[in-house]
Amino acid sequence: MDNGFSIIGKPTAMVDAAYKTTGSGKYTDDLSLPGMLVGKILHSPYPHAHIKSIDTTRAEKLEGVVAVVIGKDAPNPYGILPVGHDEHALALDKVRYVGDHVACVVAVDDATADKALELIDVEYEVLPAYFDPEESMKAETHLIHDNKTHNIEKDYHHVFGDPEKGFAEADHVAEARFIANEVTHAAMEPHSTLASFELDPHTGKMGRLTVWSSTQVPYYLQHKLSLVLEMPMSQIRVIKPLVGGGFGGKSEVIPLEIIAAVAARKANAPVKITYTREEVFWAHRGRPRTIIDLKTGVRNDGRITSVKARVVQDGGAYCSYGVVTILYSGALLGALYDIPNIQYDGYRVLTNKPACGAMRGHGTVNVRFAFETQLDELAAEIDMDPAEIRQRNLLTPPCVTVNGLRVQSYGLPECIARTVERSGWKQRKGKLAKGRGLGIACSHYVSGAANSIIRSDMPHSTVNIKIDRDGGVVVYTGASEIGQGSDTMTAQIAAEALGCSLARVRVIAADTDLTPIDIGSYSSRVTFMAGNATLRAAEEVKKRIAAAAAKKMNCAADDLLFRDDVVSKRGSAPHAMKNNPGEEEETTQAGATVSGRVEGQILRGSLQQKRKDEGPKDWMTFEEAVVAAIDFHGALSGTGSYAPPQEARGGKHKGAGVGPSPAYSYAAQVAEVSVDEETGEVTVHKVWAAHDCGRALNPVSVEGQIIGSVWMGMGQALTEEMVWKDGMLMNPGLLEYRSPSSVESPEVEPIIVESIDPEGPFGAKECSEGSLAATIPAIANAIYDAVGVRLHECPFTPERVLAALRAKKNAKPLNLTEGIDPTAPVRFREHGGSLWFRGKGPQRHALDPSRREGPEPAGGAD
Amino acid sequence: MKKELVALKINGRSCELAIEPNSLLLDVLRKDLDLTGSKRGCDDSSCGACTVLLDGVSMLSCTLLAASCEGQEITTIEGVSEHGSLAAIQKAYGDWGGAQCGYCTPGFIMTVKALLAENPDPSEADVRTALSSNLCRCTGYNQMYEAIRSAIRAERSAMAAAKECLLPRAAGFSDPVSRGVRNDKT
Amino acid sequence: MSLPQFKFLRPRTVDEAVGDLAKHAAKVRILAGGTDLIPSMQQKLFEPEYVLDLRRIPGLRGIRSQANAGVEIGAATPLSEIERSSFLQGHYSVLSQAAATVASPLLRNMGTVGGNICLDTRCLWYNQSLTWRKGCGFCIKKDGDLCHVAPGGTKCWAVFSGDTPAALLCLEAEVEIVGPEGVRRMPLAQFYTGIGDNYRKLQPNELLTRVFLPTSSADYHGVYRKLRVRGSIDYPLAGVAVVMKRSNGHVVDARLAITAVNPAPMLVKAASGILAGKMVDDSLAEVVGDLAARTAKPLTTSALTPEYRREMIRVFTKRAVLAAASN
Repeated sequence: MDNGFSIIGKPTAMVDAAYKTTGSGKYTDDLSLPGMLVGKILHSPYPHAHIKSIDTTRAEKLEGVVAVVIGKDAPNPYGILPVGHDEHALALDKVRYVGDHVACVVAVDDATADKALELIDVEYEVLPAYFDPEESMKAETHLIHDNKTHNIEKDYHHVFGDPEKGFAEADHVAEARFIANEVTHAAMEPHSTLASFELDPHTGKMGRLTVWSSTQVPYYLQHKLSLVLEMPMSQIRVIKPLVGGGFGGKSEVIPLEIIAAVAARKANAPVKITYTREEVFWAHRGRPRTIIDLKTGVRNDGRITSVKARVVQDGGAYCSYGVVTILYSGALLGALYDIPNIQYDGYRVLTNKPACGAMRGHGTVNVRFAFETQLDELAAEIDMDPAEIRQRNLLTPPCVTVNGLRVQSYGLPECIARTVERSGWKQRKGKLAKGRGLGIACSHYVSGAANSIIRSDMPHSTVNIKIDRDGGVVVYTGASEIGQGSDTMTAQIAAEALGCSLARVRVIAADTDLTPIDIGSYSSRVTFMAGNATLRAAEEVKKRIAAAAAKKMNCAADDLLFRDDVVSKRGSAPHAMKNNPGEEEETTQAGATVSGRVEGQILRGSLQQKRKDEGPKDWMTFEEAVVAAIDFHGALSGTGSYAPPQEARGGKHKGAGVGPSPAYSYAAQVAEVSVDEETGEVTVHKVWAAHDCGRALNPVSVEGQIIGSVWMGMGQALTEEMVWKDGMLMNPGLLEYRSPSSVESPEVEPIIVESIDPEGPFGAKECSEGSLAATIPAIANAIYDAVGVRLHECPFTPERVLAALRAKKNAKPLNLTEGIDPTAPVRFREHGGSLWFRGKGPQRHALDPSRREGPEPAGGAD
Repeated sequence: MKKELVALKINGRSCELAIEPNSLLLDVLRKDLDLTGSKRGCDDSSCGACTVLLDGVSMLSCTLLAASCEGQEITTIEGVSEHGSLAAIQKAYGDWGGAQCGYCTPGFIMTVKALLAENPDPSEADVRTALSSNLCRCTGYNQMYEAIRSAIRAERSAMAAAKECLLPRAAGFSDPVSRGVRNDKT
Repeated sequence: MSLPQFKFLRPRTVDEAVGDLAKHAAKVRILAGGTDLIPSMQQKLFEPEYVLDLRRIPGLRGIRSQANAGVEIGAATPLSEIERSSFLQGHYSVLSQAAATVASPLLRNMGTVGGNICLDTRCLWYNQSLTWRKGCGFCIKKDGDLCHVAPGGTKCWAVFSGDTPAALLCLEAEVEIVGPEGVRRMPLAQFYTGIGDNYRKLQPNELLTRVFLPTSSADYHGVYRKLRVRGSIDYPLAGVAVVMKRSNGHVVDARLAITAVNPAPMLVKAASGILAGKMVDDSLAEVVGDLAARTAKPLTTSALTPEYRREMIRVFTKRAVLAAASN
């Protein structure tokens, strides 16, 4: 078990665990300030409309209302991508989805604010709306954004190699349409922001702004606030308190974050806004509904010759991360296996629904579902074991894929081998009871994007370390802990690199006034990038300590070993005396090291004097070495930063910036399911999930991330789906949006594979996202193994599975999914019923495709 | 609306509060008493992040009117740790990865506390069923089961120790550091 | 979401409660477990002037068996108590089974049997926030004059989504209702109207106080099957309850009820006749399944398609009948 490390690689409770288990930790909504007011937002009831006028007078007159904020109060546009500045804090002249932000009431309490919302008079001119992306792409008039013709946010057309030649060389070609329905993050913490201005002592006017927010990207938030509020970034402080889960939903600036600041300015008081759960669904930024037309060719020996994909994403009403999402879908299609020829046509389309954005496995998940399912079909066609066909198409790293992605460490072969072994694949596949089956699939993900969304040569992460005279280490990092364990990872790397105990390290994170810039917790970049920056900062400080300690010990700095709170000459014995690192706090021989600052200070004087008197030694305590360094250098601090190397930044084609990463994680999974053939209900019994994370810095966390990813993938595979009807979200709550409960959640056996990446911190790569994408196709393939139906539309709800079973058996046809066969889906299915008819109901535009003449056939009535 | 005086007993302490009749217990805890450990995660009584114990029975504080709880013992997450140290279940949730983002954690701890008070030796199925009252979006629940098993072991050895007066109270935590890594990893 | 303002009534006896109801009648909503009322009030589905809390009335809670007179269950008895009662498990097992499937264990600690019986009918177009409902133009059941699930129609199809009433119908349960005119007792089968926006025969000044299970229904073999997407938390998307008594392998008496597919839970009366005197086999179970499916009128009030939910009524009925006859 001893891998030569004393901190990393050992299961470690998160440094903030007690805040969470005692409820003492503060999330944004737990904070309050004296005189704080609450903000409540008025949302659009229409999917697409001009705002002709807004009259707030009645609301303003209500007792207890302090201010009403509208679009004109902050008209500057913003957006997470520099190419997508199409949002406003509050709608200026147009609303683009049901739930779009129109006005904000600032009042003394929730009830007053709620009442005031009813008193705002908005006059709308309703416009035709677009809900289906393929319909929306035909739009000529009433565009959602004037500068986006045919409502296409962005389209990319990539050709690598010679796809047609590749198909000609194939022995078998499969071609099909896949549909993945829309899912959302549903992090347990609803978004919340608290904004407060202070008065400037020099001007006497409103000065600096402090914003506490549930964000994965405090520095982007600072930047966008600066754009909208027209304030220098130096006057804005963003603090990220504990964040109750993100999964990408907090990885960009969400309207309430800007609105709270604008509201605080207008109301001259601190303002807190916390979304209701329904508002969280409207803020969304989840994984878009996606249509994937996929064609794959293989030879009889299993080698993939060519892949062609046309992907249409239903992006919702704003750009958000859309341009990146549609690029990821193509870029990572070709980088898991060795695929010589690829054609990719991606369309990110605008519709009148909440904006989609980044969600765990950003851009890769739905395409991976399609690809891995089709590969399974091809394996069956050439009569090859599904695990083997994957093994036949492995990359041979170090290499550069056909689309320009550099691959160095590649644990996929071991991932496949280990899952196959642990699941008993070879012995059990095809031999399970009727209705029960096994399926395999693979996936991968980036360890951070090699190119940041704002193109510059700035490091992606910088970390400062300061060490106090008593050996207390403080790490300042901009990296955002959102529950994934980033603070713990930071502390572990610092402690390991400095050779001190974890208890000495305190992490100050994600406070733009205190911590150096880090671009945020998204695209699984933190361990790789902030981890490397931490390592470099620690090494810089260590160098200074070593120089001073070497002087004291009459040796070269290079000869010193830092470990377990002791600095020693290499080859000397003190480490042997404390071979139980778990107990270092109580039993260090010097006695002066830890057990609290006060005791340490009392003891320090006499012990240090004694040891000084005894002359040079072949070891010192960490604290003594620190004292020596501070005596020698003055203050003891260090800085490290990380920027991805040029070689990892990808090719030169249009859109080549998205996809490249300094390192990729890999995953292989086997799912065991059973299917009730009469009801279509699918039960997942177990998932074996191998994940190549480079090196597992904290195995408890790595396992937790693997299990969590698999579980979230299972949710998308079986139960989770945002159900739409003409732009109305039918299930905007945790009761009707069904993320799995413990009862139907399977055992997940995480299998850690360590490929030791040459550039990762201690060899580490990402572990939080890459596993998700494999779960959906692993379950799809297991369903096929169990009952012989191929599902091309997820989630595999019981009715879809039953419809597929019925179609296969040519049994009594039952129109279970409105005529759409889940094995050959054609379009997105809307919820039944009818929203507008016979001119009744709220006004809708005459051209609105959702406005139908006469009643629709009513569902199940005879 | 006119406020009324209500006497509540929370975590063993009595307090008298002037509240409106439509105040939810969750809001009174969070806003009036600054006991922010109980969280709001949904608006449709489905997520369990606000779970408290009412006379020992787990309930949703977002679905109770505060005024309706008069005369009952309310226990919140803030009342779980004892004598200045983490309760076994709290320690175990930290050690075994039962908490990631932590937002649902107080609710789960309250659910588990109610479960173990009623059934100190629950089967795997009992635990699964009990946890199905709360939603977690990070963990996939697996590591919570390990945490709960570990907490039960810890409680049991602490009880045995207390009986025999041999070991200090804190002993008996099964520490993942000493368990090695699960499965047969390299 | 804040709750609307109201005055709070906390009677200590049934008489006091009835007095309060008589005084304020239509302006009152009754609060028992709160799991239905509180979220609905947050969505502004109800904005009553008064809320009457039953939690302080001790006599409304408990399960009491009476010699030769069956069993009496207080309306405010939590569902968890019904689920765990060994008496009910032994003699009226279909009820404890149904109770054990309601929502989640925690919600069963709060929710009461009376509340489950009186549960407001549900619809995806109705159980939404005020803002949402504004977006859809409201509906017949609340604030509007349209129905979105049966366009053009004037009847509300909101679906009754309680689990236990299906079991109680099979057990020929009666409910006790107390009002200004005194106490009356009616079979549960007569309690529901089948109209979504006026779904029960309980006057605003009346209180449901007790549920009675007759001795004649004791010791039937019972099965409750529920369709839901998640194994917990969810309301039923379809539910089937079957009770059966057999002798020498032949059905002596059987009853079948379905829920969550109509605006009321429904006894499928013809099923009793078909099953009586027969040996249960697959084909008989299928005939009963078809019958139940014909009684079900699911619409787009809920998740999943109506066609699927009706199909599941067929499958679940078949299975429940077979299971009830399996020992």
